[in-house]
Amino acid sequence: MIPIGIEQHAVTRILFQDFAPWMVIVFYAYACAAVGVFAWGVYVQLRKYLAGRHAGRIDWARIGGRIADTLRMVLSQRTVRRRDAAAGWLHTGIFYGFVLLFIGTSTITLQEDILAPLFKIHFWYGDFYLLFKLVLNVAGFALLAGVIYMMYRRGWLRPPKLDYTRPDRQKTDSDWSRERYRIEDWAFLWTLSLIGLTGFLLSATRMVWLEQDPAVWDTRWWAPVAAAIATLLKAAGLDPAGAADLRMLLWWGHGILALTFIALIPYTKAKHIVTAVVSWLIRDRAPVARLPLGDLEGQRIGFKEVKDVDSRYLLQADACTKCGRCHEACPARAAGYPLSPRDLVLTLREHANQQLGEIIPLSTSAGPISLIGDGEAQIRAETLWACRQCGACTEICPVAVEHVPLINMLRRTLVDEGELDPALQKTLGAVAKSGNSFNESRRKRARWTKELPFEIKDARKEPVDILWFVGDYASFDPRSQKVSRAFAKILHEAGVDFGILYDDETTAGNDIRRVGEEGLFQQLANGVIETLGQCKFDRIVTTDPHTFNTLKNEYPQLGGVYKVDHASAYLRELLATGKIKLARKLDYRAAYHDPCHLGRLNKEYEAPRSVLAETGATLIELRRNKDNSFCCGGGGGRVWVPDPPGVSKVSEIRAREVAEIEGLDALIVNCPKCMTMLEDAVKTTGNEGRFRVLEMTELLAEAMEFTPRSDTPNVVEAV
Amino acid sequence: MKILVPIKRVASLDDEFELRDDGRDVDPDFCEYDLNEFDEYSLEAAVELKERAGEGVVEVVAVTVDTQDGDEILRKALAKGADRAIRIWDESLAESDQIAVARVIAKAVEHEKPGLVFCGAQSADHGHAQTGIAVAGLLGWAHAAVVSGLSYEPGAPVATIDRELEGGLVQKLSIETPAVLTIQLGINKPRYASLRSIKQANAKPIEVLSPAEIGLDPAQTGLAGSLSRVRRMYIPERGRSVMIEGAPAEQAARLLEIVKEVNG
Ligand code: SF4
Ligand code: SF4
Repeated sequence: MIPIGIEQHAVTRILFQDFAPWMVIVFYAYACAAVGVFAWGVYVQLRKYLAGRHAGRIDWARIGGRIADTLRMVLSQRTVRRRDAAAGWLHTGIFYGFVLLFIGTSTITLQEDILAPLFKIHFWYGDFYLLFKLVLNVAGFALLAGVIYMMYRRGWLRPPKLDYTRPDRQKTDSDWSRERYRIEDWAFLWTLSLIGLTGFLLSATRMVWLEQDPAVWDTRWWAPVAAAIATLLKAAGLDPAGAADLRMLLWWGHGILALTFIALIPYTKAKHIVTAVVSWLIRDRAPVARLPLGDLEGQRIGFKEVKDVDSRYLLQADACTKCGRCHEACPARAAGYPLSPRDLVLTLREHANQQLGEIIPLSTSAGPISLIGDGEAQIRAETLWACRQCGACTEICPVAVEHVPLINMLRRTLVDEGELDPALQKTLGAVAKSGNSFNESRRKRARWTKELPFEIKDARKEPVDILWFVGDYASFDPRSQKVSRAFAKILHEAGVDFGILYDDETTAGNDIRRVGEEGLFQQLANGVIETLGQCKFDRIVTTDPHTFNTLKNEYPQLGGVYKVDHASAYLRELLATGKIKLARKLDYRAAYHDPCHLGRLNKEYEAPRSVLAETGATLIELRRNKDNSFCCGGGGGRVWVPDPPGVSKVSEIRAREVAEIEGLDALIVNCPKCMTMLEDAVKTTGNEGRFRVLEMTELLAEAMEFTPRSDTPNVVEAV
Repeated sequence: MKILVPIKRVASLDDEFELRDDGRDVDPDFCEYDLNEFDEYSLEAAVELKERAGEGVVEVVAVTVDTQDGDEILRKALAKGADRAIRIWDESLAESDQIAVARVIAKAVEHEKPGLVFCGAQSADHGHAQTGIAVAGLLGWAHAAVVSGLSYEPGAPVATIDRELEGGLVQKLSIETPAVLTIQLGINKPRYASLRSIKQANAKPIEVLSPAEIGLDPAQTGLAGSLSRVRRMYIPERGRSVMIEGAPAEQAARLLEIVKEVNG
């Protein structure tokens, strides 16, 4: 590699070549100061996170797997590329550029300040040095290209998700635009790009300055970018003397910028380099599907002030990079509600900084301020109530911010203090009294079965293979009752041994928990667990994804461990084992709406699609599908709260999206709440009659073409 | 100062229900019981005054005239912010009419000596809207019914209140304390009592008093002290609607027949 005649040791860089001793002292003093400022910042941030609760709650058992998973995420940069490939790839460039430059600079420090003075070990010369130069040149180029693209993106492309104006504030509010963040972003990008630029220029001027030294000049193309710049500089008339002066200037500029950048990491958005990694490391694997178990005896059931908040959320608030992916995905935000998950997380950040200190540690002894309120750095109650707990935000967040449990824990405070919509109060009151959200008598729960030509087994009285947990909507809502009857007929036709709980079924409480009424949820769940404990069954099947979710993921928290299947998985199984025979192939063009609780929360995307395919229908994927499915608007208890006048409905946005598809025969839903919300929205958006809204179960029933049997005269009613 | 809030456990009916064997009331099997909706507002009005006044200035006492079944609504009242809960009962109070109940409450007022009494404007089940005003009458206190707005500094001799009249008119008046106000729906936004707060309220005591303890003469209450008595409850026969079936021509013919029948 090294040209003949040049001694290996000569090919290196003398760091402080031509520096007066005082310069070296000043440099080291500045470097030490920078490290000090950095360390202080780390202390203040750590102290802030540790002021929260449950800091020690780390899942040590799987720490090895977690570390491996975190490394995979960090090294692959996978989450950054989701739904934004361009920005993601360039971020990958910045990341690798930064890491390599950081490692490179660290090896210099390692040799100069540790190995060489202490052990007389030198490795930073010769072939190694040349390779080192090459790698760092490529890294620097990647960093610079990435940063310049990001500037272009912010300055010219301006994707709406990077607009920091807040849906949870009015234009007239002082904190509406979050100008500080915009300035910070630009300062961050400029600093990084100047560090990169000065680095290259420095390297190039050094080449011109030392062009007489073959150890420098003849090996220059190992640093191709710098060498190209050097050529240009020479062409522009730079001579070695001028280059020496320029090099000195650039050296200081580059050094001070880089050290300042390091010093400021804990105080600026650069801290995501660390916080994002830790956030991912300690993330919950099912933050949306399984909400935290509340301690009903504790002093507080939810988060009210910053010290109630779990440390993980305080850290997450600092990990947020304002990428806006959650903001873009949020259905409440899209419909014009005063909620953006991004802004909520940033408000938590600002609140924590204000209460506990961002630069100087503060104590909240002056009397803590509520995290919920109408002031600056407070989250408004209306913001919390706008959320559907659909998980679109948490799903897409590249740094594992867990918005859904955070919002839920804040709602628990509102519920505990009694501050909720009258309509919601009525529903909760009804659930507490009668075990269902329809305020119907328990006696009427199984009335939908009356029109069936056969009787469904009473699982309380005899053992069954399949315990069908029907759920509130499927029991009481007239439209969903039809679906329930269709499902009953399918099971009957397939010869399944199944039963229901009749009057002793109550709601499983999924949405009660999502409203934030943890006490009522636990009471309901304990009741259901008791009832189920008296029945003999092999597994539970339900058509309702909400019920499915809580039974499967949350009941184990209270000791109820069951085998639970959603109807779509069970139907797929019945089809695969030949228990269900289809009478005809449907030639529909059908779109499938993934219900949040089945898809995103439980990652069941395939079962319903394969059932749909079996019926012969052609699946037309909606623009937003699977993990990016757009909530019907009915989650998080919002199905019980009327939408205020003046905002568009979440369900209508989805209905319009469906209506964009030409020649659609049916929209297939797979959840009673989606059915209620979307069927209504199809009407209110004027699309009634253009396509049908069917449950997956009904589609299958059509393909099975229930023919009236002698003893079942009107069995086609559901179809 | 103290605010006394008399509350009532009311029944709501299933859409299908049966009457008791004696025909004088609905079979309790077909009822759900809960705190009277109007009392949610009177209680909230009292608790709001308390919270606004700051620690230790106002005490809110909920009182009900009921059997042990009434504990449920007292717990709810405690969960919503009442400081104390009193239940007055013994067998002699059974079958009291609204005025007899007012006598019990009036005695409770003499016993507790509150500065204000907030009643619900009426009960959601029987709807006499008399008890509150009768209490004021028995005590000889100032009173206002169907109050839809209230501003009061705890301890002040006068409260300012709004009452909604016909045609959207609002009447603003000042009323001397002590006074009895009956509170209308919508005066505030009643808070929700979470299950957890109700459970926590289970730990708080409910003071149970007998009528004798507060100096009530048995002749004043129960059947003996009531001037009215429920004789019978029933659903009056109503003209039933008839669905006319058949082809349009047949339907028209039948309709004509009916018109002729009715006109005689
Ligand atoms: S859960 Fe859904 S509605 Fe709630 S903030 Fe996240 S994306 Fe928005
Ligand atoms: S919370 Fe996550 S998804 Fe939302 S803006 Fe911050 S980093 Fe992006």
